Amino acid sequence: MLSMKKIQKVYRTDMIETHALHDFSIDVTTGEFVAVMGRSGSGKTTFLNVAGLLDTFDEGTYHLDGQDVSRLSDNEMSKIRNQKIGFIFQSFNLIPDLDVFDNIDVPLRYRRLPAADRRERIEKAVRTVGLLSRNHHLPSQLSGGQQQRVAIARVLAGDPKFILADEPTGNLDTMMSREVMDLLEKINDSGTTIVMVTHTPECASRASRQIHLLDGEVVDLNSLPPENADRSSASLASTLQ
Amino acid sequence: MEFGPILRSMARNKVRYGLIVAEVALTLAIVVNCVNMIGDARREMARSSGFDDDNILSVRSTPFVPAFKEDGYLDAAVRKDLDAVKAIPGVVAVSNTRFLPWQGGGSSTTTRVLGSKGEFLRNQVYNADESTLETLGSRLVEGRNFTRQEVESDTRRLREVTTSNRPPGADGKPLEKISQDIIVSRAFGELLFKDGKSLGKGLEDEDGDQYRIVGVIDHFYNPYGWPIHEYVMFFPGYARSFQGGSAYLVRVAPEKMKAVRPQVEKVLLAANTGRNVQLRELTEIKERFQSQSALLVRILSLVIFLLLFVTSLGIVGLTVFSVAERTRQIGTRRALGARKLDILSYFLLENWLVTSMGLVLGVALAYALNVALVTRLNGTRMDAGLVIVGVGLLRLFGLAATYFPARKGAAVAPAVATRNV
Amino acid sequence: MLLHNLRIAWKSLRRNVTLSVLIVSGIALGIAVSTTFAAFRHAFSKDPIPQKSDVLRYVRLDSWDPLKPYPGDDPSRPPTQITYRDMQGLMKSTIPVRQGGMFVSNFYVYPDPKVGRPFRELTRLCFSDFFPMFDVPFQYGSGWDRKADAGPDPVVVLSQEMNHKLFGGANSVGRTVRLADRDFRVVGVLAGWRPNVRFYDLTQNQIATPENIYIPFNLLRPMQIRTNGNTDGWGTSGASGFEGFLQSEVCWIQYWVELPNEKSAGAYLDFLNAYVLEQKKTGRFQRPLNNRLSTVSEWMTDAGVVPKQATAMLIVSLLFLAVCAVNLVGLLLGKFLARGGEVGVRRALGASRADIFLQHIVECELIAVLGGAIGILLSLGALAAMNAWLKTIAARGGFFRLDLSMILLSVGLSLAAGLVAGIYPAWRTCRLAPAMHLKV
Repeated sequence: MLSMKKIQKVYRTDMIETHALHDFSIDVTTGEFVAVMGRSGSGKTTFLNVAGLLDTFDEGTYHLDGQDVSRLSDNEMSKIRNQKIGFIFQSFNLIPDLDVFDNIDVPLRYRRLPAADRRERIEKAVRTVGLLSRNHHLPSQLSGGQQQRVAIARVLAGDPKFILADEPTGNLDTMMSREVMDLLEKINDSGTTIVMVTHTPECASRASRQIHLLDGEVVDLNSLPPENADRSSASLASTLQ
Repeated sequence: MEFGPILRSMARNKVRYGLIVAEVALTLAIVVNCVNMIGDARREMARSSGFDDDNILSVRSTPFVPAFKEDGYLDAAVRKDLDAVKAIPGVVAVSNTRFLPWQGGGSSTTTRVLGSKGEFLRNQVYNADESTLETLGSRLVEGRNFTRQEVESDTRRLREVTTSNRPPGADGKPLEKISQDIIVSRAFGELLFKDGKSLGKGLEDEDGDQYRIVGVIDHFYNPYGWPIHEYVMFFPGYARSFQGGSAYLVRVAPEKMKAVRPQVEKVLLAANTGRNVQLRELTEIKERFQSQSALLVRILSLVIFLLLFVTSLGIVGLTVFSVAERTRQIGTRRALGARKLDILSYFLLENWLVTSMGLVLGVALAYALNVALVTRLNGTRMDAGLVIVGVGLLRLFGLAATYFPARKGAAVAPAVATRNV
Repeated sequence: MLLHNLRIAWKSLRRNVTLSVLIVSGIALGIAVSTTFAAFRHAFSKDPIPQKSDVLRYVRLDSWDPLKPYPGDDPSRPPTQITYRDMQGLMKSTIPVRQGGMFVSNFYVYPDPKVGRPFRELTRLCFSDFFPMFDVPFQYGSGWDRKADAGPDPVVVLSQEMNHKLFGGANSVGRTVRLADRDFRVVGVLAGWRPNVRFYDLTQNQIATPENIYIPFNLLRPMQIRTNGNTDGWGTSGASGFEGFLQSEVCWIQYWVELPNEKSAGAYLDFLNAYVLEQKKTGRFQRPLNNRLSTVSEWMTDAGVVPKQATAMLIVSLLFLAVCAVNLVGLLLGKFLARGGEVGVRRALGASRADIFLQHIVECELIAVLGGAIGILLSLGALAAMNAWLKTIAARGGFFRLDLSMILLSVGLSLAAGLVAGIYPAWRTCRLAPAMHLKV
């Protein structure tokens, strides 16, 4: 589903070059649920931007759903984001003036779908996340967990090949986090690939595979420095349980 | 103090600051030129006619009964009118003349110094009786006024000449010449005689008729279609006919216009019912003549006000965004020990720099626009003082428009720095 | 999509009402001021007789003083009117399909004593061609015929207002009106005729309404009628008396011809030149050949119908609009860039740059249209105030109007201002990197 080979991403300013991703390679097969972990500054965000076609990279190749997406124009990238990728953000990123229905409608409109089709998809997605009665509420009238469920509904309505989740529970309390993770698992069970960036082991443990990033590289668990190894193995342990 | 950081920040947001520079520049150019146009209009409106405008009433009598076609009847009727009006308490003087100030025109002819081969110069020309100067409130600075006797005899003489259809000679000019004594305005005298000594000198017109200057009045201004506002000659004579009727000017004592005006109408209609009379105060005529300029002044003032409003709006907008964008930065600075005054002065200095650039550009633009208006649309050159005042004014507006949003920025709490936005 | 974008734009405006009011009022002021001055100028400059403006020509001949040009702004221009002698010469031409001289005089009207006292009224002396030439509308009857010109017959055409005053508005054709010393038979009553500019006689009060009484030109000799209009003379007055005046070089008659096509216009100009060359042999017309055959709009330009101040004000008002547009750019830029987050989300969800650009341009145009609508209302108020002012000084109402062309202009200006002001902010917004604004 997603295959990156030797990706290099360098941020340049007048003075310094920062290697955000360095010889980065990763393969995610269809139907997988992968957690990408790492501390702040490890390159998680850059990975997310590159994987989500939100940003370009300097070297290497990237195949998504069998298509080479390494060197696409801005318009082509927009189209792939719209049709194949679903985003779930830490801060939900709902548009504040639009109600629940209209928020979910946003990507569908960019896909130029006919109105009836959009309505059907939206209603189905809202039902799935259990917010049918809130169709005409504004984001500010919803709790954090509800907002994130709207964001997930926005993804579901688009029926993407693959979902990128960026700390989806970062702004939620434990109860709500669990609800959201249950929902993601359910989506993954239905066959949608999920890549989730997180730093909480509890979330990562729900994934079928964990990847660790350090200074822009995927690290082998075995060669980790001790303090990292500890935490990683802990999470590994929890996965194994 | 911190020019460096401000300039660098401006260089990073060239367009946004550039817009304010452009706005300030355009505003200065427009405001200064509008004020210049207002100044022109006001100067034009403030010009004195040299007459007692406030206390003069114009009366037109237009006869419709055939009896007026007979000269004797007409003369007697006019004399009766003059005597009747003169007898009204509050009337200072009354005159039978076709001259009517501030109507935006009049009659003109061309004359030159007698015996010279010079060019004929255009000047206004009106009849005057013995009390015209007193009625207008004009002051003789040299020579004498017309006497009633010469007014009457010249009237008779001119009447004979017009009815006799002066036969032309070989040169196309009338064989029979007329010569008259005239009173001129000082400006016209100075136009004709470079040394200004016009009293007693002679003029001639293109018919060969001759005129001798017997009096000079000090100030005369009557706007005319052609540029001859200050050049006039008065010749002695009454003006009256069946077709044209007769026109009077009545000068009343100060503050008496309200009381006298209805009296004049009543007295005239009682004196002779075979005609209509129309009364207008000179102030009405003047107001109507100047109404276009008055409107222009009002409109331009409004435009200036709106323009300053819109530009202030733009500056307020810029500062608000500038502050909003830097809320965190301001908090950090405050946390690091900056006083409110430091923050305030940062924004004020930023605005000062931006408006300065706009003003420099604006001065150039203002002159360019002025040149265009002068060459294309009869504008006048503007005064450097005006530009300086305009620059000061915009400075003031710029600072005021920055101060209020900037003060809000200065009020940002230092705690913002530590907040996870 | 457009409708959807409009909805988004409307929501965006409602998000920050104060800012939106500032933005919209800025552009509304710009449109109000520019529309007002465009309409102000247009009231003078618009074609008063569009259906015939290219076939009507105003005739001027340079019969002025050999020693110096006719005074005025432009010394190359001949006198604005022609002499009586030249009018008689020109009337001999058969090239124009219609033609004639005219002037205005002041007459005493003696109404039925039951109606009122005698009163003076401006009266136009003209030929029968005057009415069809200028498409003058009639309520009752018609103009007189060429036989009445030749007579000359004492016939009269009244304006609707004069017919109302004298006959209570009834069909007065065939009835009698006493003017000066004789009785006139009414042959026609005009329907309301209100050209904005009195284009057929621009030598005096150009925005006055047409005269209320019209009688045959040739009555001037038997009735010894003097003009009440401008008389421009030079040199010697020659013989005095009425005949002397008619034979003098004084210019006081306006002369119009109707030439249906360019060919006849060329032929007529040849005729004019030949006429003047002929006259030169008699010692007249000693200035260089300078005959003018002006269309309505050329004559209006030469006569300075559009006040120069109106043009200056229009320029100032367009600059004002430019300031408003610049102001709008700044405000929109701030507003849009403050919304980077939302744009980032939309981009992540698949919006192309074009989608984002379009969304923001639509918002700018919505602002411009709202501003334009308010601006048009404001300028209607301003024009009403100016009409009230004109009524007090020139006794005519409804002179300044927002006709269709002015409304289209101001809608066009609004849309253009929105587009010009919106392009850069919208472009900047759509170029925002989507990734930059997502992580909050």
